[in-house]
Amino acid sequence: MAALIGAGLALNMFYRQTAVARFELDVREVAEGLLARTQVKEGEVVAPLLIDARATRALSGRYWQISEPTPEGLRPIKLSESLSPEKGGAPLAGPPGGVGALLERPGRPLFYNTVGAAGEPVRAVAILSILPGRTEPLVFMAAQDRSPIDRDARRFAELTALLLLLVGGGLVAAVFFQVSIGLSPLFQLGREISDVRKGKSQRLTSVYPIEVQPLAAELNALLDHNQEVVDRQRTHVGNLAHALKTPLSVMLTEAGAEQNALADVVRRQATIMRGQVDHHLRRARAAARSQSAGERTPVDEVLDEMSVMLERVFQEKGVEIDWRADDDLCFRGERQDLQEIVGNVLENACKYGGKHVRAIASLTSEPGKLRLIVEDDGPGLPAERREEVLKRGSRLDESEPGSGLGLSIVDELARAYGGAVWLERSDLGGLRVVVDLPAAEV
Amino acid sequence: MRVLLVEDDPDLSRQLKAALSDAGYAVDHAADGEEAHFLGDTEPYDVIVLDLGLPKIDGVSVLERWRREQKTTPVLILTARGAWSDKVAGFDAGADDYLTKPFHTEELLARLRALLRRAAGHATPALSCGGLRLDPRAARASVNGEPLRLTSLEYRLLHYLMMHQGRVISRTELVEHLYDQDFDRDSNTIEVFVGRLRKKIGPDRIETVRGLGYRLTPLEGEPVD
Repeated sequence: MAALIGAGLALNMFYRQTAVARFELDVREVAEGLLARTQVKEGEVVAPLLIDARATRALSGRYWQISEPTPEGLRPIKLSESLSPEKGGAPLAGPPGGVGALLERPGRPLFYNTVGAAGEPVRAVAILSILPGRTEPLVFMAAQDRSPIDRDARRFAELTALLLLLVGGGLVAAVFFQVSIGLSPLFQLGREISDVRKGKSQRLTSVYPIEVQPLAAELNALLDHNQEVVDRQRTHVGNLAHALKTPLSVMLTEAGAEQNALADVVRRQATIMRGQVDHHLRRARAAARSQSAGERTPVDEVLDEMSVMLERVFQEKGVEIDWRADDDLCFRGERQDLQEIVGNVLENACKYGGKHVRAIASLTSEPGKLRLIVEDDGPGLPAERREEVLKRGSRLDESEPGSGLGLSIVDELARAYGGAVWLERSDLGGLRVVVDLPAAEV
Repeated sequence: MRVLLVEDDPDLSRQLKAALSDAGYAVDHAADGEEAHFLGDTEPYDVIVLDLGLPKIDGVSVLERWRREQKTTPVLILTARGAWSDKVAGFDAGADDYLTKPFHTEELLARLRALLRRAAGHATPALSCGGLRLDPRAARASVNGEPLRLTSLEYRLLHYLMMHQGRVISRTELVEHLYDQDFDRDSNTIEVFVGRLRKKIGPDRIETVRGLGYRLTPLEGEPVD
């Protein structure tokens, strides 16, 4: 852009300079002709008859003048007809420096701008010279209307400005067009990656031009690799659990029957080990989770499978789980984690409630957030104990089997996903567990 | 009562065998999947305790085989994998209960007693409608041999429809038979459950009769019982 503006200015300057130079040459020729052909006869200055035919018409825009420098300034001696006062003209003004400037450079032309007889702008030249037969110098002046070249220059400037504007606009449009067409696959790629991050999709699926396709393929490979790493870590963690838990079970059972110091130590240490194993398994899982992206889990599927299973487990008690979920509601996260959350909350409700358990999952008014509410008709929990059960390791009821970690795991998982868990009193009479989780965009 | 204990850890096996014998069970023990499958297939056990991590064939596969072969013996799975996804996998394979290691022996005994009570409770014959089968004894249903995963409300709904197959049943009648007295009776929820059931058994088996209710019929070309 700057180059275009610069070129435009340079073009204009060059045009103007050449036009003015040609014009000045013209004016100077007139002045020099005047100088060459003026004679002094018996002290009288005799101007040639015809210097320039055009200078005979009054106010024609072409003027010449012979003046005599005096201390008060230039005194005109001879004027072209175009300047003659009888025809409405007036003598030309001298150069800005006055006689002094001319005296400094005799015989050399001095160009200046002034106004002509009709008030038009003129370019004038003055040459001071001493003619033979006269001791006093004379000033020969010629002037010509410069408005045509001003007009031409302006027109030229307008034309170049217009053309350059068109060229510039065209260039901008072309660049914009090229960038938006050329980069559109990259924008598309950006959108798809953002979709993966938001959990809308698992992989990049669009077809890209050959320049971008390798990048998309590599990104997909990276996503796959990430998933693989996560899966592998899960497997390791699961294997570790399996490897440790059976021996722990054996130790606890063996010690359980005995009443002596050794059995006490084994029991106590085995219990600590069990806690440690659980704790580190969860931490490993959390680390694996933070690496995975783009997972989405349908909430209704998880509610369904968990309800079916828990109703079967608590069949003797006759627990019925009435679950509802918005259509197409998806959790933005891993299935295993949602299973863990739903499983623990529902299991608690089945354990401590009566026969009715209600689970409702729906989108909240806040975008990207879903809320799971699980209620039971059991005795509930006094307000002061609600905080406590979310803490690690505490149990609702020491007489119930199980590790008692249920709700604290839910709390931990929900926090890991930027959600929250809190407990309230249910209309059904028992406990109401509210879990806020991120929802995947549909 | 005969119980099959499938567990590969020798110490745990010894402990459990002793505890079960003390509780009055006749215990058979299998230490790998192959042996377990063979014993479960040939002997009439009342209940099976199945560890999932087994040599040769894993526990879930053994369970799936038994269920495919129409064995309805109640199965309690023992698993070190406490994740809910593992439990779900076990239930999908046909388990009736689970216990996560480490556990107390008393808890195992209590669960086994519950399973046995449950299995003894029902004696109703199986129902079928075309490719649909429902076995009230095991509280399981299947479509074309594939086990269905039904919640108890869905199961009761299907059970009722199957008992009255071919007849149009109004929503009110379904609500009355599906819900307890003290539960909110919203007949709209019936639509929700019929919708879910259709998703699981196929969309065309339950027909909506406008203004009247629902009717369960075999699909075209399926034999009518």
